[in-house]
Amino acid sequence: MNTHVKITSDGVERESVDLSRRSFLVGTAAAGLALGYSTVPGLLGVDPAFAATAKFDPSVWYSIAPNGIVTVTCGKADMGQHIASTMAQIIAEELGSSWKDMRIQLASNDPKFNDPVLGAQITGGSWSTMMNYDAMSRAGAAGRIALTEAAAASMGVPASELAVKDSVISHSKSKKSMTFAEIVKSGKATKTFTPDELKAIKLKTADQYTMIGVSVPQLDIPSKTNGTAKYGIDVMLPGMVYGKVVMPPVRYGATVKSVDDSAAKKVPGFIKAVTVDDKTATTTGWVVAVANTYTNAKKAAAALKVTYDGGPNAKLSSESLLTEARRLQGLDDSGLFFVKNGDTAAAFGTAAKVIEAEYTTNINIHAPMEPMNATAQQQGDIWHIYTGNQFATRSGAIAAGAAGVDPKFVVMHQMYLGGGFGRRLDGDMTVPAVQASKAVGKPVKVIYSREDDMTMDFSRPLTFQKIKAGVDGDGKVIALNHDVVSAWPTKRWGIPDFLTPSVDKKGGLDGFTVNGADFFYTVPNHNVRAILNEMAQQATPSGQLRSVAPGWTFWAVESMVDELAHAAGKDPAQYRIDMLDGTGANAGGAQRLRNTLLAAMGMSGYGTRQLPKGEGMGVACVSSQERATASWTACVAHVAVADSGEVKVKKLTVATDVGTQVHPDNIHAQVEGAALWGLSLALYEKATLKDGGIEQTNFDTYTPLRMSQVPEVAISVIANGDRATGVGEPAVTVIAPALANAIFNACGARVRSLPITAEAVKGAMKA
Amino acid sequence: MPNLNINGHNMSVEAANDTPLLWVIREQLQMTGTKFGCGAGLCGACTVHINGEAVRSCQMAVSDAVGKKITTIEGLSAKGDHPLQKAWIAEQVPQCGYCQSGQIMQAASLLAKNSDPTKEEVVAHMDGNLCRCMTYSRIQKAILRAASEMRTASNGGTERRAT
Repeated sequence: MNTHVKITSDGVERESVDLSRRSFLVGTAAAGLALGYSTVPGLLGVDPAFAATAKFDPSVWYSIAPNGIVTVTCGKADMGQHIASTMAQIIAEELGSSWKDMRIQLASNDPKFNDPVLGAQITGGSWSTMMNYDAMSRAGAAGRIALTEAAAASMGVPASELAVKDSVISHSKSKKSMTFAEIVKSGKATKTFTPDELKAIKLKTADQYTMIGVSVPQLDIPSKTNGTAKYGIDVMLPGMVYGKVVMPPVRYGATVKSVDDSAAKKVPGFIKAVTVDDKTATTTGWVVAVANTYTNAKKAAAALKVTYDGGPNAKLSSESLLTEARRLQGLDDSGLFFVKNGDTAAAFGTAAKVIEAEYTTNINIHAPMEPMNATAQQQGDIWHIYTGNQFATRSGAIAAGAAGVDPKFVVMHQMYLGGGFGRRLDGDMTVPAVQASKAVGKPVKVIYSREDDMTMDFSRPLTFQKIKAGVDGDGKVIALNHDVVSAWPTKRWGIPDFLTPSVDKKGGLDGFTVNGADFFYTVPNHNVRAILNEMAQQATPSGQLRSVAPGWTFWAVESMVDELAHAAGKDPAQYRIDMLDGTGANAGGAQRLRNTLLAAMGMSGYGTRQLPKGEGMGVACVSSQERATASWTACVAHVAVADSGEVKVKKLTVATDVGTQVHPDNIHAQVEGAALWGLSLALYEKATLKDGGIEQTNFDTYTPLRMSQVPEVAISVIANGDRATGVGEPAVTVIAPALANAIFNACGARVRSLPITAEAVKGAMKA
Repeated sequence: MPNLNINGHNMSVEAANDTPLLWVIREQLQMTGTKFGCGAGLCGACTVHINGEAVRSCQMAVSDAVGKKITTIEGLSAKGDHPLQKAWIAEQVPQCGYCQSGQIMQAASLLAKNSDPTKEEVVAHMDGNLCRCMTYSRIQKAILRAASEMRTASNGGTERRAT
């Protein structure tokens, strides 16, 4: 468990969250923040009445205007998961408002909009619904209670006799009723709640839900069909100019030796070349060409002659990183223990058989469709940053570092994200925007070219894993050593709370490189070592890519479990079911995982028919994301493998247990998108480092899944009634191992490196 | 100073002849529904119509668009109610939404010529448009739904005349 995620036995800790009106917490920036989020240009769905004085603010999370419009302020990044709409749905359930009255807007980085559990503005981990469910429910209920009491006073009837439905409060005996709009207009809804009063509110039970569990129309979707949704790249400020970054040939560590702008000066509209001096060390060796239009900035950037010192990483390649990873794994004293159960060394001594295998994954690039961008503007003491970002708390601090001011002077104006996938947890894009704006004294919008975006990605790191398993005479696993060597993306953040203490208290490790390795299988003697590849850490500053560690840990675990099953002569699905016996700490979770596996097996017809030659089905099951925040997910992949080694995916059958469904259609969309991400990573996406730089620069060489490559996908969502879990990521992680296991069953080729290529499959067939 | 006909309006813009049409549309005309994705014609986010044909606006010089009829997502329909836009909402297609203007414009050029495309024809026509959220199956469904509704609308007219 990661220390910052506070979980109790029954779920996410209900921390005391002050949802009453609170003053701004950021001192002199208060004025800027107060103006900030309500003046973001083009924010969708904001009703003009929002600014009216007589509105009712039952909590920081929403306001009700005198016309009855309920505007929810979402502190989460909306990047395609429709999270603002989901928050509105949870609030509407308890508030009793009509869905047609709901509107959404995105929060600034004012700390009052921090996540009630995480205490910061960060969107990731498939955590948002789970961790905000209680706070949004209570906020909605508080509003309903306040409105009901005001209506009771107006009508002269007891509040207990009132019913709330579709934004109307009615009294059946007297046939009196008032709309939310009328109550707000009356000015009588003024009740506020202390944190204790909020905590004491009795929330609805699931059988009383009328909104949660319904696939209401997502509030952001219409704007995404007519061009009106505003992303960071769409921000236009008066007097704004444009910046195009000249990127060094080395991913990280280069320094600028000289900049010759003589040719750039001939480009019409060219303003200035700004060498970025990044005290936050987020970037190295960047120069921004500033001009009156983006096209001219691009021309000027091409005309700049920049010379570099390539720095310490200029000769490194993917091969160097892998060689170093192998070296580190071979050392007895490498890394820190994430899991240390029993005594694996002793157990290996008694094992009937020991099996070892190595699994690797190549570098992967986020490549959201909207390239990174940010617009920076200084007004008085305040820096305004306009960008779509997943971690406003940290990115605001990075922007502040670039500006040389205290973070309280930075207002982050959240925009829609044209894809996040973890890329926008980073704040690098704010650095050239702020420094260019400072240098030219105007608002500057910096837009990365696709080439900039790909070569300067905070990528999923290259990983190397070795698993050594000992089995008894029946083929049952009695010992397992699992070493995970990678860059540590979360360590790069420099926030100690995001590190996980090693089990032997010898230091903090990056749990986001080993989550998943602490699986729900019963293995009495089990070690997991997290090993930092410092060379990769320096050369390829890595980030969190959709699903993060479980994207590689389950690749290794679920491949190895399959290998062990075959070695024992057992059906791989039944072998897993036997290991998911739910003893000790695995109780409950193991059974839920088993059930999803059974569901996927049933839906796919696993084991019920003879498949044609060259075809196979493979299974995998995962407890992504973290052990404490798992959505239980299983996949049966059905493939056909040609003699050439080419793999055709015939069908992916995915079953996932999410506890409670807020929006079934959205869950389906997220699980399908995640599964196809998993497929894309498994078969089509590969980035490589050469001479310190990422070789792939655009969608001709880095090639995510296209429509013609989409197989049939069948999805079963199980809602067992437990708390709502996340759905954006888990299905990513289950696909690659299910495919590799299916390939083995189809043709006997065991592939242990991602992405899976036809050459690797063919090579393994011969072996 | 090129003159452009865009969404039915004649507009004069200030841009060098070799400026990509995309940036003229986005920056000068401030119509930001057309998106920048790759700058190389590989992703389709910038798709607009030139005389009814789907074209990657990042690959077309503004001077080459002079004298032609340019349509962007903002001009596809008067009220955002093109059958494809309605189908996109009915099927709840967009996730992040960034590629969807380009997807809709690409699809519209198909349905303008082929009112009854097969699934294979849809895939062949749409394969150049990337969706990183992987909403591909819903895009397919929405296109087939819109095609069906467009056919029903035109057949309905015929039937009424027949009776």
